[in-house]
Amino acid sequence: MTPPVIPNRRAFLKALSASSLAAAMSGAPRAFAEEPLEHPEATADCCILLWMAGGMAAPETFDPKAYLPFEKGLPVERILSTFPAIDTSLDGVRISSGLEEIAKLMDRATLIRSHVQPDLGSILHSRHQYHWHTGYVPPQTVAAPHIGAWMARVLGPRNPVMPAFVNIGQRLEGVGESEELKAFTTGGFFGSEFGPFNLPFPDEAARSVRPPEGMDAGRFADRYKLYRKLVDRSPRRDFMSDYQQESMLRSLENAHRLLGSKEKAAFDLTGEPKEVLDAYGEGRFGRGCLLARRLAESGARFIEVTTEYIPFVHWDTHENGHATVDALKKEIDRPIARLIRDLEERGMLDRTLVVIASEFSRDMMIEGVPGSEAKDQARVKSDTLENSTHYGLHRHFTGGSSVVMFGGGMKRGHVHGATADERPLVAIKDPVTITDLHATIFTAMGVSPKSVFEIEKRPFYATEDGKGKAVASLFG
Amino acid sequence: MRSAPAICLALLAAPAARGATDFAHEVVPVLREHCAKCHMDDKKKGGFSMNTRELLLEGSENGAVVEPGKADESLLLEAILSDDKTEKMPPKGDRVPPEQVEVLRRWIDEGMAWEPGFTFGEDAYEPPLKPRRPELPPVVGGRDHPVDRLVDRYFAEHGITRPRPLADGPFIRRLSLDLTGLLPSPAEVESFIADTRPDKRARLIETMLGRDVDYAEHWLSFWNDLLRNDYQGTGYIDGGRKQLTKWLYGSLVSNKPYDQFARELLAPENDESRGFIDGIQWRGRVNASQTREIQFSQSISQTFLGLNMKCASCHDSFVDRWKLDDAYGLAAIYAEAPLEIARCDKPTGRMAEPGWIFPELGEVDGSAPRPERLKQLAALMTHPDNGRFTRTIVNRLWQRLMGRGIVHPVDAMDTRPWDEDLLDVLANRFAADGHDLKKALALIVSSSIYQSESVVVRAGEDPAVFRGPLAKRMTAEQFVDAVWSITGTAPRKADAMVPRNPTAEHGLRAKWIWSVSSASSMVPAGETLVLGTEVVLAKAPVEATAVFVADNAADIYVNGSRVAREDGRAAAPRPGKAELGNLRAGKNSIVVVARNGGSQPNPAGFIFEARLRFPDGGKQVIATDSSWKWTSTLPDASGRFSRPPLDWQPAEIVADARVWTPFTAGLAEQIEGDGAPMVRASLVPADLLMRSLGRPNREQIVSMRPDNITTLEAIDLANGEALAGLLKRGSVHLARPGVPAAVLVDGLFMRSLGRPPSAAERALLVDSIGRRPSPAAVEDLLWLVLMMPEFQFVR
Repeated sequence: MTPPVIPNRRAFLKALSASSLAAAMSGAPRAFAEEPLEHPEATADCCILLWMAGGMAAPETFDPKAYLPFEKGLPVERILSTFPAIDTSLDGVRISSGLEEIAKLMDRATLIRSHVQPDLGSILHSRHQYHWHTGYVPPQTVAAPHIGAWMARVLGPRNPVMPAFVNIGQRLEGVGESEELKAFTTGGFFGSEFGPFNLPFPDEAARSVRPPEGMDAGRFADRYKLYRKLVDRSPRRDFMSDYQQESMLRSLENAHRLLGSKEKAAFDLTGEPKEVLDAYGEGRFGRGCLLARRLAESGARFIEVTTEYIPFVHWDTHENGHATVDALKKEIDRPIARLIRDLEERGMLDRTLVVIASEFSRDMMIEGVPGSEAKDQARVKSDTLENSTHYGLHRHFTGGSSVVMFGGGMKRGHVHGATADERPLVAIKDPVTITDLHATIFTAMGVSPKSVFEIEKRPFYATEDGKGKAVASLFG
Repeated sequence: MRSAPAICLALLAAPAARGATDFAHEVVPVLREHCAKCHMDDKKKGGFSMNTRELLLEGSENGAVVEPGKADESLLLEAILSDDKTEKMPPKGDRVPPEQVEVLRRWIDEGMAWEPGFTFGEDAYEPPLKPRRPELPPVVGGRDHPVDRLVDRYFAEHGITRPRPLADGPFIRRLSLDLTGLLPSPAEVESFIADTRPDKRARLIETMLGRDVDYAEHWLSFWNDLLRNDYQGTGYIDGGRKQLTKWLYGSLVSNKPYDQFARELLAPENDESRGFIDGIQWRGRVNASQTREIQFSQSISQTFLGLNMKCASCHDSFVDRWKLDDAYGLAAIYAEAPLEIARCDKPTGRMAEPGWIFPELGEVDGSAPRPERLKQLAALMTHPDNGRFTRTIVNRLWQRLMGRGIVHPVDAMDTRPWDEDLLDVLANRFAADGHDLKKALALIVSSSIYQSESVVVRAGEDPAVFRGPLAKRMTAEQFVDAVWSITGTAPRKADAMVPRNPTAEHGLRAKWIWSVSSASSMVPAGETLVLGTEVVLAKAPVEATAVFVADNAADIYVNGSRVAREDGRAAAPRPGKAELGNLRAGKNSIVVVARNGGSQPNPAGFIFEARLRFPDGGKQVIATDSSWKWTSTLPDASGRFSRPPLDWQPAEIVADARVWTPFTAGLAEQIEGDGAPMVRASLVPADLLMRSLGRPNREQIVSMRPDNITTLEAIDLANGEALAGLLKRGSVHLARPGVPAAVLVDGLFMRSLGRPPSAAERALLVDSIGRRPSPAAVEDLLWLVLMMPEFQFVR
């Protein structure tokens, strides 16, 4: 973490990867060396975050409550869950129907049922997502880095050819609140070297590492060879500082190294057997899980796969929640289960931390938490169920949500915390904040939650103000 | 620190030898061992520094910590002896051993003798506030330019050799990119090199700065970064943020004096320039340090004074002199309601008093109404004695031109410049020149040092020592403008609603219309009528864009859907733009509900012009003229009539359209790509390519763009669809049959690098692309040249 003292820049340039070079020289963040920082011993080398964008209702997924089927005229206040619960491979722990494949794997999982978020007044997805992904409540006076950027900055990729931080499944153009999404899908003040490698369409991921449309690999490689010759012949080679020149050439070198590498095959799903493709399904999320597995195998450090945030779509159920969630579970259940099994079969699960999380939960009646000043954002407002669009959890709820973790040093078959069985369904035992959840993830990855960089003469920590404490009881 | 009060000076005079305790050998080691980490050198946790006796006596943000002679009453000893986790000092690690505590107790009781002149750390540099008037050093080597006289002295003092003079070719490229953001054309380069007049560089500087629109569209990005202005982003969609674009663009085109520029931002007279102080209204609750009032405090401090109020927005700063009350003092000038001070997001119960941070210059009257307070603030900010204001901007300009600030980073204006005199000479001259930004630029670029070859910072050299101009990475906008201009692929339309040719007529075929021709002088306030026309189209257009101005309000409907609304609440009529997506083959109806504003009779009118493009390339114009009709029968909310009105009458062209000239200049350029100057990257929202190359999300103020190209950017440059697409389209333009490869290569080098290729370069490239290059070969050639470090950096 401490910036290296540079005895001889040439030797230094040769020794260091481009990423640490850029950061060391750009003058931006550097370690804030007030006290020696001890990183914990890592229990995971790679993290895959499966992001349920839009607010996954815990009572409809991993924390089922009393179930009432649809019945016309039923008072909505009586409804806690719209799906029945099913048994899992973990004795005594039930999850919601529709997650049958994941249910079979719960004996390998750590299930947190008491994840809580602050209620930021007006409950906006993008602000809560910003908070969850950076650990800081927006707005901030500096551009806060995404947790994946922290991993990229502190740990780098496991394989130097690969991008460290890959973001799968989220379009950043042409969807609602895209500016707000971009605000946290970023390396922040670490700079773009540590930002996400964005792959919004998993099936097209190979295009991101392939020569541009219409250019074959031979022409692409020749173009770069010619480029190196041209640079060498330039009469103006020396005008820039070593640093600028070397940094630019090295970045292009890195780019071409990836684009010409064997690892780039990891981005191409077409090589997978039909059986595997079928198992992960046709959906973008399923394909994203498959891509994540391939990138994890090839040495990426932090991979996020999202169901994609689009206002009022997917998990953002402001109406017709039951039917929407029913479809969503079909989209995620088999791919997630297959991902876990694949990692297990390959002997990778022990060192790969898989986290299923969302910005908040949902409730049928309560917006925010009890006593919140947040405005009711449900689109259907009826005291009784009149038609099926009324049936579902249509309000944002920050008082208790579920997080599932697999592998990466977490306990197998463990439940942490609980929510009330009667409304309000708030966490009643061992609540876990975003700060502490991040501290847990950082700790598993071998990064101190107190890791700190200086920006604009102020310290900026991996977890808010360096205060995150890993939940020790989750580690196996 | 602020000057020490008299009482401290008196105490300081206490004789050093009064006590028996040996300060240097007994006390210093104890304090250094236990307190240094937080309270010495540039550290002052809790606002408490022990560097000097005065500072020690001044205490912390919570008051005195120790008083000479009263050890047992002192907070210092109490904290050292305490076991309470929340108050003990030092907060971590071992307690101070009893024998060391005894030393401190004795020393305090004896009067706290201090070695004269002793300090535990270098006092933080405190920049002068008022302008200094340094003498210029003697002229050396005939270089009488004030900048060169100072730089020559600096070089002599630091044993630095002047860099070599820059040749004409690189000079015109550097100057053009620095002042207008554009590459010079090969013709400009050639004629400049051929020019033999001795004053040709001075002439070129004048010509470049005289290109008002090019200048404005380049510096627009600089100011957008500093003022957090953009075309889209958090807040714009729900009115929580206002664009400054039109005001800013106009201010840059007219080269508005910077003091006036600042005053209009700080104390806006209308909505056009109020976006900066209003900042961003976030939906939901935000941290107390991010309310609009505190954003105001932070933004004006950073942008105009290069100082950081972000620390002090939460608590007294640990790193500089600013205190929580300073941050809130500025905030309270802006606040419309009484403002409670919060410390680290917790209310303190204390109310903020409006206050200006440099009381030496005057104060803001806290009891005055808000507009008056803002005016007073604007006057203090632009006060002739506020050297901080002028130094900050000239330092920013220097950084843009020379690659590194005289104070660096440029927002750390409380740190030491590498040459105080240079900074002051530039700042004084700027003020004397009427705060003329172009003159400040001209002063720097006319110096020999600017007109020198860029220097290389070599291994082991301190980058803070000035050696000459540095190569600067092209900004995202410069790069994209360059690619667009070389490949002819600029977008057809700007997003920014700005008059790009302010002196031109509006250039429309459309006429101002109303029910009567006298409308240009007198129409009752609130008069509402319907204007309409029918258009028969042979085919549905592929593109249909309209511009309009309503005096004052209008709802425009096409085929029963509203396509645009002007609510008429702006202070003056303003151009609006609409996409007419639902025009179809056959008959189309356009219905406009137009309303005059104001409270007394005043001019009213409406002008509208749509340009349609058809799949076969054909064009058609729909424009307001005397063929339009009007009626007083109003349609329903979707612009439809339940029964067609029977009283349609011909609309009239108004008698004197000149009353609207100020509002319609250059309007046609909004819908017409042809003939207008190339659309610049600064006039459209950031796309993925620009974002990847460092155009910031403007939620935070940005004063310096990243200076290196990262791997992820390089991947975008190597295979990203955005750039590849531009190059492919460009190659089709450039690969005209019959153009020999050598001519193509020479032309591209001149256009991109401002020089012909060397023989080696030409041979290499001609050989590789073949004598009759295919479009694919030209595409590769473009990429090769655009990726040359020589291209990507302004040198």
